[in-house]
Amino acid sequence: MTQGPVVLVTVTLPAGATLGDALRRYDLTPDQVDQEYGLVSVDPAQGLYALLVTADAAERITGTPGTPGAAGPYANPSIEPYGPPQPGPARGDDEG
Amino acid sequence: MRVMIQMRPAPDVVEAVIDPSVRTTAADVAGPIPGVALDPDYEPVPVPRPQPAAPGGDPLSLESMTFSMTPERATVLVRGEIQDYDVASRYAMLGLARPDIVAISSDPVIESMPTCGGDGPVGDWHDVQNKLTDHLKSEGMDGEGVALAILDTGINVAHVSEVLGQPVTVDESRSWKPSGVTGNFGQFPVDHGSMCAFDTRITAPRATLLDLPVLLSTKPVILGLLSDAVAAFAHLRNVLDAMPQEQRALVVSNSWGSFKPTWDFPPGHPGNYSDNPAHPFNLSVSALEQAGADILFAAGNCGRECPDGRCGFPDRPINGANSHPRVLSVGGVDTRGARVGYSSQGPGRLSRRKPDICTYTHFAGSKAFGPNEPDSGTSAATPVAAGVVAAIRSQLPVGELSPAEMRTLLRRTADDLGMAGYDFDYGYGTIDAAAIVEAVRRRRKNGRHH
Repeated sequence: MTQGPVVLVTVTLPAGATLGDALRRYDLTPDQVDQEYGLVSVDPAQGLYALLVTADAAERITGTPGTPGAAGPYANPSIEPYGPPQPGPARGDDEG
Repeated sequence: MRVMIQMRPAPDVVEAVIDPSVRTTAADVAGPIPGVALDPDYEPVPVPRPQPAAPGGDPLSLESMTFSMTPERATVLVRGEIQDYDVASRYAMLGLARPDIVAISSDPVIESMPTCGGDGPVGDWHDVQNKLTDHLKSEGMDGEGVALAILDTGINVAHVSEVLGQPVTVDESRSWKPSGVTGNFGQFPVDHGSMCAFDTRITAPRATLLDLPVLLSTKPVILGLLSDAVAAFAHLRNVLDAMPQEQRALVVSNSWGSFKPTWDFPPGHPGNYSDNPAHPFNLSVSALEQAGADILFAAGNCGRECPDGRCGFPDRPINGANSHPRVLSVGGVDTRGARVGYSSQGPGRLSRRKPDICTYTHFAGSKAFGPNEPDSGTSAATPVAAGVVAAIRSQLPVGELSPAEMRTLLRRTADDLGMAGYDFDYGYGTIDAAAIVEAVRRRRKNGRHH
């Protein structure tokens, strides 16, 4: 099981919300949240924000019954440069 | 899709096709076939009918056969194109609509080996400049006043300036880096991000570069996380909001993506990224584009002919935001105009019609990977395209041309390569700067530029 606040979730808060607002609204403690990452605006028109939280916290706020406005967990895959192209299997390696 | 269509027209038509002294056309043989664009330049070819050598012989055996070219027994081959969409149904309907069609088969392109990873450069960045930049400059399109964000491994302006022969700077006040990333904007080690910065300067020499090193590692093993990109896009939203509404001009170049489905939830899971428009990053892409940003993503290097060894998707490798309907998804061609073999083919996962367009890659340019190594991958094509967009933007801010209209402009003016119309190799074709300039001139003449 991955440790630390690395699980990506979204929460809904009013415009201009702060990380403190998110902690209070979703009953989170500071150590359950990646505070350096903070509260990140995803879609201001929808009041949608992203947070990185611990697995336990994610399960509590997004599970059943959960906390209204919270969703996730979402995939947080590694991202890599698309270049330079690295060698792949030689053509025909997967044949016969 | 290119197809060969085998037909059995009336014997007198077959006789004319067989007779070398008579010139026949596809229209003579087939007439109009619904849904098929016949190739008028392909002279119909008579096809003899195989039959058993001896009366009563096995009609399905390939041994002891003879071939009959009598007009009553021979058939005729023509060729044409049908749309890529729903090919199986189209085949079936054609058979019903035209009983004289005997068989339809694909007519694949026969071509030499494409440019692949590891191959030397094909041309250099001056070739790209000649093909794109000179046309744009003639209309004053140089990127002046446009912010061009490079989300990558960070930019080294000293290296880019030296190779380019011109001073290059980044706007530190509007640049951004994930927490934990050390180093100063514009002074990161020479790597992929410097290549991208260099390649934007080919086509947008006066754009203002923003350095966003989201791919720099802050944790062991991995390069970057998608959540860093979510935060970078939130920052760019603030950059955009600080610009006057009608004068917004922000181009976002993304030469990265997710290679491995094992890092993702499976398609259908509500937390999935690759196929899910409701993933937070895909939503942040929509929100930034809605606010007026032009967003470009590389199509990826998982083309069937020579895929990158990291490619993990078994099919449809253009995934997540790289396939987002509100971005321009960019494939690669070499400076000869041929698709590079690693350029990912569609359909995309969020939006089928990906890639949107192609432009140049695999040319000698930034020397970021060594003096003889090309700027390669759809990684290089994307900043070239981003530079073109920034160049156009310098004359047409968002108040006059929305990001959606910008994408339409590039698609409609693209030089259609591959099959006629859209195809999953080249998208709508390669960026055609001369056609863009002509379209903008027409737009101005028609009073749509204020």
